[in-house]
Amino acid sequence: MSEKHLSSQFDSDLNGVSSQLMKMGGLVEAQIQRAIHSLANFSVSEIDDVLETETLVDRMEMEIDRAITTVVARRQPAARDLRLLLAISKITSNLERAGDEAHKIGKRVKSLVESGQTRQMPIGDLRVASDLAANLIHRALDAFARLDVASAISIYREDDLIDREFKGFTRKLITYMMEDPHIISSSLDLLFIAKAIERIGDHAKNICEFIIYIVHGMDVRHSKLKGIEAIIQPEQAPFS
Amino acid sequence: MSADANSVAASKAARFARRKRFNQAAIALSMIAMLFGMFWLAWILWETIHIGISSLSVSMLTENTPPAGDEPGTGGLANAMMGSFLMVALATFVGAPIGILSGIYLAEYDPQGKLAATVRFINDLLLSAPSIIIGLFVYALIVMRFREFSGWAGAAALTLIVIPIVIRTTENMLALIPSGLREAAYALGTPKWKVITRITLVAARSGVLTGILLAVARISGETAPLLFTALNNQFWKASLSGPLANLPVTILQFAMSPYENWQQLAWGGVFLITLAVLGLNILARMLSREKLK
Amino acid sequence: MNMAEPSSLALSVPIKMALRDLNFYYGKFQALKSINLDIPERCVTAFIGPSGCGKSTLLRTFNRMFELYPEQRAEGSILLDGENLLTSKQDVALIRARIGMVFQKPTPFPMSIFDNIAFGVKLFENLSRIELEERVEWALRKAALWDEVKDKLAWNGASLSGGQQQRLCIARGIAIKPELLLLDEPCSALDPISTARIEELIAELKKDYTLIIVTHNMQQAARVSDYTAYMYLGELIEFGKTEQIFLKPARRETEDYITGRFG
Repeated sequence: MSEKHLSSQFDSDLNGVSSQLMKMGGLVEAQIQRAIHSLANFSVSEIDDVLETETLVDRMEMEIDRAITTVVARRQPAARDLRLLLAISKITSNLERAGDEAHKIGKRVKSLVESGQTRQMPIGDLRVASDLAANLIHRALDAFARLDVASAISIYREDDLIDREFKGFTRKLITYMMEDPHIISSSLDLLFIAKAIERIGDHAKNICEFIIYIVHGMDVRHSKLKGIEAIIQPEQAPFS
Repeated sequence: MSADANSVAASKAARFARRKRFNQAAIALSMIAMLFGMFWLAWILWETIHIGISSLSVSMLTENTPPAGDEPGTGGLANAMMGSFLMVALATFVGAPIGILSGIYLAEYDPQGKLAATVRFINDLLLSAPSIIIGLFVYALIVMRFREFSGWAGAAALTLIVIPIVIRTTENMLALIPSGLREAAYALGTPKWKVITRITLVAARSGVLTGILLAVARISGETAPLLFTALNNQFWKASLSGPLANLPVTILQFAMSPYENWQQLAWGGVFLITLAVLGLNILARMLSREKLK
Repeated sequence: MNMAEPSSLALSVPIKMALRDLNFYYGKFQALKSINLDIPERCVTAFIGPSGCGKSTLLRTFNRMFELYPEQRAEGSILLDGENLLTSKQDVALIRARIGMVFQKPTPFPMSIFDNIAFGVKLFENLSRIELEERVEWALRKAALWDEVKDKLAWNGASLSGGQQQRLCIARGIAIKPELLLLDEPCSALDPISTARIEELIAELKKDYTLIIVTHNMQQAARVSDYTAYMYLGELIEFGKTEQIFLKPARRETEDYITGRFG
């Protein structure tokens, strides 16, 4: 069975859309990395970069959607081609939102730094979570490039870790705020940052859902992890 | 690169010029060949019309064949025309239905069968047999037996010429009907005889009619089979028994004679036959064109 | 996911026609290999597949059209409401009258528009003139042709445009009130507007009829059918709901074909 279409133009159209998506993913990844870096060091030097990349990412999202519309209009894709294009369209909006979250982190770090209370804040836990989130986005894009369902599922699982971290961190922040009401506004900044990290993890998880959709044609959004594994495990290969 | 392109263009132009010259030469040659053929045809037609019209007269249509050596301009071909009409009509009325039915059998009932292949082969033989052989055959079969030349025998010989033509055209015309039409009729649950009579034969009707007209045109000019069968007669007769006057044999006899009045009538007869055959051919052409629409 | 036999897709709809172990031969060449398939009632079922895959052949077994050609034969069973058409004692004409068929090229009969439709009706029904006129109008209305031809019913069928001729043939097919309507690439000779009209008509007709369409045009199958069967080299590769076939076929061969990877 061949992987290629009879029409090589169709192949190159699809590859073009996929590689544009990977490029956009790279931008968002860099954006998240910079936001995390500025959070870790409380430095504002990279925050402007984060904000600038934002417009680039937005433009790419629109460009990819236009390319997808063109392929749909001209080729009437079916089956896995159709699933791929639908999924890419969804993945771009998840990436764009993940970029938005990086943007939010940047803004909050700026306000934290300006408040001058950075020293007293418990950011150690956040670093772990943020590294984890950035890693998930990276691996999700990687899994997309290889259409690797197994690693998509493991990413799915790890996102629960971030969610747990987030809950723990929220409790911790509440304790801090009760102890010292002066740092409430800085703590709220941190809370928003934590929420943004948690959201980035969610977006990585959504990307994995679309990878499963591309490969298995199943919509696993809003299903429990166990249910997904139960459906997919019995036959790893999408075709019998 | 551009030098390459230039040389390619140059060689293309040279080849094109050569091809053009060849083409012009070929066109010129085929024009000459065509003119050569057309020249004789036009001459024949011209002579026929020219001399034929000048020998036309009312008496030619109303009076019977005159004795040899009469005044030129008296006498006519009425009895010969009547005889020809009787024999052609009878041959068509007998031969066409037989031919159509056989054609239907070949095209619809047994297109691939052995019997059909045999019939087709024999039919082709009959189609290309010289008409004089058919005349001799009928002579041996009918004239010899009844010891008398007769219109019946003439009509029988013409029938034998009509049948293979009609078989062939009917079969071909039915075979041209797209199988989709036939299948569409069967798909409704139509019985076979109804598919043939209501659908395929109707769809092929102008082609079949054309075939009949061409057969009529062919037999109205046949001389050889009538020489041995109907012979000739100089009296008016509206019955087929006994020797019967007819145009082709009359023309033959009159044209070969030394008498001026006979020769004149022969030209008139030739003109009449040419006119009739031309008319039939034009009619056939109009019918087949209608079919193509 | 259930990767069961393509044919035994558990259908929760009534079955109009069932094929069991159907084999078909052109002389010695086997053109259909053990086809098992259930055709749902009042639905459109599409047969797709590359040229020569046997989809038209399959269609032509349903009304025993192949019997017109002596070297063709079918084995197995074609059950129409449980009755095996291949071994039926019924006259083949009666069987064909239960199954309408529309061909690739429009095939108007050489007669008037009115007679084109009345012809089939008169074969099996004894209707008064009034009833016949009503039936012709009914069929033409069903085929969305009435408004275009109501003033020229006496015209020859061949005087209509290609798209109109094809709708005339559909009207002729439904005028005999068949239980099943077979469409053998009905739009392949038509322009997009006429094609859209016919597709609209197909959607309309499935309220009353079971339709089976053979088409080269996958988008057309995706547009008009409820169920799709993919055939290749005389075998039924996959059968399923159309949306499933076009979004997530169970078999790799099917996906390669409908995504244009077939080579």
